[in-house]
Amino acid sequence: MNDRHLSTQFDAELSGISTRVLEMGGMVESQVARAVHALVNFSSDVASEVLRTEERVNQTEVEIDLDLSTIIARRQPTARDLRLLIAISKTIANLERVGDEAARIARTVQRLVNSGVSSRLRLPVSDLAYESELAVSQLRKALDAFARLDVDRAVEVLKRDDLIDQEFEGLLRKLITFMMEDARTISSSIDLIFVAKAIERVGDHAKNLAEQIIYIVKGTDVRHNPVGMVETLVR
Amino acid sequence: MTTTAAIAAANPADTARRRLHARRKHTNVIALTLALLAMAFGIFWLVWILIETVRLGLGGMNLALFTEMTPPPQADTGGLANAIFGSLVMVTTATLLGTPIGILAGIYLSEYGQRGWLGSATRFINDILLSAPSIVIGLFIYAVVVARTKTFSGWAGVLALALIVIPVVIRTTENMLSLIPNALREAAYALGTPKWRVVVTVTLRAARAGVITGILLAFARIAGETAPLLFTALSNQFWTSDMGQPMASLPVTIFKFAMSPYENWQKLAWAGVFLITLGVLILNIVARTFFRNRS
Amino acid sequence: MDARVESLVAEKPKLSVRNLNFYYGGFHALKNISLEIPERRVTSFIGPSGCGKSTLLRTFNRMYELYPEQRAEGEIVMDGSNLLTSKEDVSLIRAKIGMVFQKPTPFPMSIYDNIAFGVKLFESLPRIEMDERVEWALKKAALWSEVKDKLGQSGSGLSGGQQQRLCIARGIAIKPEVLLLDEPCSALDPISTGKIEELIHELKADYTVVIVTHNMQQAARCSDFTAYMYLGDLIEFGRTKDVFMRPKKKDTEDYITGRFG
Repeated sequence: MNDRHLSTQFDAELSGISTRVLEMGGMVESQVARAVHALVNFSSDVASEVLRTEERVNQTEVEIDLDLSTIIARRQPTARDLRLLIAISKTIANLERVGDEAARIARTVQRLVNSGVSSRLRLPVSDLAYESELAVSQLRKALDAFARLDVDRAVEVLKRDDLIDQEFEGLLRKLITFMMEDARTISSSIDLIFVAKAIERVGDHAKNLAEQIIYIVKGTDVRHNPVGMVETLVR
Repeated sequence: MTTTAAIAAANPADTARRRLHARRKHTNVIALTLALLAMAFGIFWLVWILIETVRLGLGGMNLALFTEMTPPPQADTGGLANAIFGSLVMVTTATLLGTPIGILAGIYLSEYGQRGWLGSATRFINDILLSAPSIVIGLFIYAVVVARTKTFSGWAGVLALALIVIPVVIRTTENMLSLIPNALREAAYALGTPKWRVVVTVTLRAARAGVITGILLAFARIAGETAPLLFTALSNQFWTSDMGQPMASLPVTIFKFAMSPYENWQKLAWAGVFLITLGVLILNIVARTFFRNRS
Repeated sequence: MDARVESLVAEKPKLSVRNLNFYYGGFHALKNISLEIPERRVTSFIGPSGCGKSTLLRTFNRMYELYPEQRAEGEIVMDGSNLLTSKEDVSLIRAKIGMVFQKPTPFPMSIYDNIAFGVKLFESLPRIEMDERVEWALKKAALWSEVKDKLGQSGSGLSGGQQQRLCIARGIAIKPEVLLLDEPCSALDPISTGKIEELIHELKADYTVVIVTHNMQQAARCSDFTAYMYLGDLIEFGRTKDVFMRPKKKDTEDYITGRFG
């Protein structure tokens, strides 16, 4: 089956923009990972590094959007091509917000470090690390599914989103217990709650990405549907 | 100039191109010259004919030409009135007779007879008739009409001339109609127009300039025909408006007078030649201007 | 190929094509086509050259009968009777199903007579009513304001876009039920094309319109339903927005996204 356009130029434009989206995805993925690493090790340097990448991420979003509108204006895309471009537009917005979450985490780290908090308070940062691993792996899986336009992989991402939510609930309970036990930890515990929420949101963005992939391939908009419904819609 | 030579030498493709171009220009000049010479040759004869016609015929142009009958030899007065009248009447009647038949047949060939044996057969016969020598047609009418009625007559002349008009009109009508693009016909059909109406109100109407031109040219053609009239209408020294009698006509009269040894007759002959030439020339110009303006 | 679309249940079909086969001599040009043209909607036929879209259009008003080597088999049902085998005079069928062609073809007569031509075939109207009908048709075709002062002039003096609108006015004047447009804008510039597309949109309030176009964007812009054809087969038929956003067949998607090769 011939999947290339008559216009090789158009093919090049589409694959070019998809590649850039994946690059952006890789950028924010490592941002999140690095931000959590900074938290676990209370490293202000790593946190600053994360914040520096932030500007590049925002700029990439703007550039990709510009390329996007140029392609749409010039090529009058239809069907699959149009769905791809619309999905890319939503995807980069999601990725940019992932970058924002990573920046938020980094800023929290800096605040914690500057206020002199350290691991002596036995804050459950390792649990946060686990939650972030889940979220980052979801993100990676979603980006992988985007690269291959793999619907099954995207559905897997949707199904595993619950795990992150459960992790977050658990973390919340743990931190509340922490705060009740030792009033000195309230300030930093609240910061950690915000970090946990940020990580949970990264998982949500990965979920959005997966929904867009299903839209590209199947043409069905599965947003705002429970996972069980999605599987029937996709079939 | 050493620089251009140096550049040219440095680029062999360029020099080859220049040489080819020069050769082509050369050929062009030769061909153009030959064409102009051929055209000059043709125009030369045409101009000479016209000059001689005017020179010899203009002198004989006077009012008497149109008012007096053909005179006996060596007479002082005389004109070509009866010949002119006879020609006009016979040519016009023949055109009026032949045109409807020609147009209808032309319509049939173009619109109805594209396929099938009748269309091809008609076209074939028409082509033969078109190139038939007019003397043959004259003799045919002689055998069929004159011998039977035992008299030469204007009607026989009309019939002979009509037989020349018909194939010409058929040919031009068919050609002009087939030039009309099919898209126009289809547009009329798409409105629910029945076939005959498409032909008459759309196709024929679109081709009318060409068809009328064809008729005018046929008229001009038979105005100068001599041979068919020799054996059918013969000639008449006197005035007659009775078509059942032999009638005078310009071409036949010219034939008779020009071959004679009498000077007054020869002069009248040349005047007649001038008249016919002028008439045919004017008709041709009118026909072509009409066609150009209307199409 | 049979292409049923669920969404058509709400639409009333004006023309029902069933198992239509068409031959140019021995060549099988249309292969077992079945589809329903909905009433008072614009349906477009798209597909690469030689796919049979114009051929299909011309079966609707039996235009192929002008050429003896062309023949059609099957059914095209309108108002309960099969157009292909109807005993009715074909002229009456063509009065109900009008057609506008690719190249504008004004008749060699005045603008007024062009419009009145078709009307006079079937109705004998007094002068005043004929004037009204001519004005109505020209207004509907968005041409009235441009020609109202020169109705007596020849139709061939108009520009290409105006001539095409004249042909459309001529087709509407006889008040057909269906209007067939065979690549009506291919010979026109973009502005004239735009005017005619606007016109098509207004026409569908009163007429069932079927348009053949090789310009996919035009089909996407103008039509409510789209049929994609390839080599004499009907590949897909559905609502235009579905065909252009989520086509059911890969062949359709390949064609409209330009992957055709």
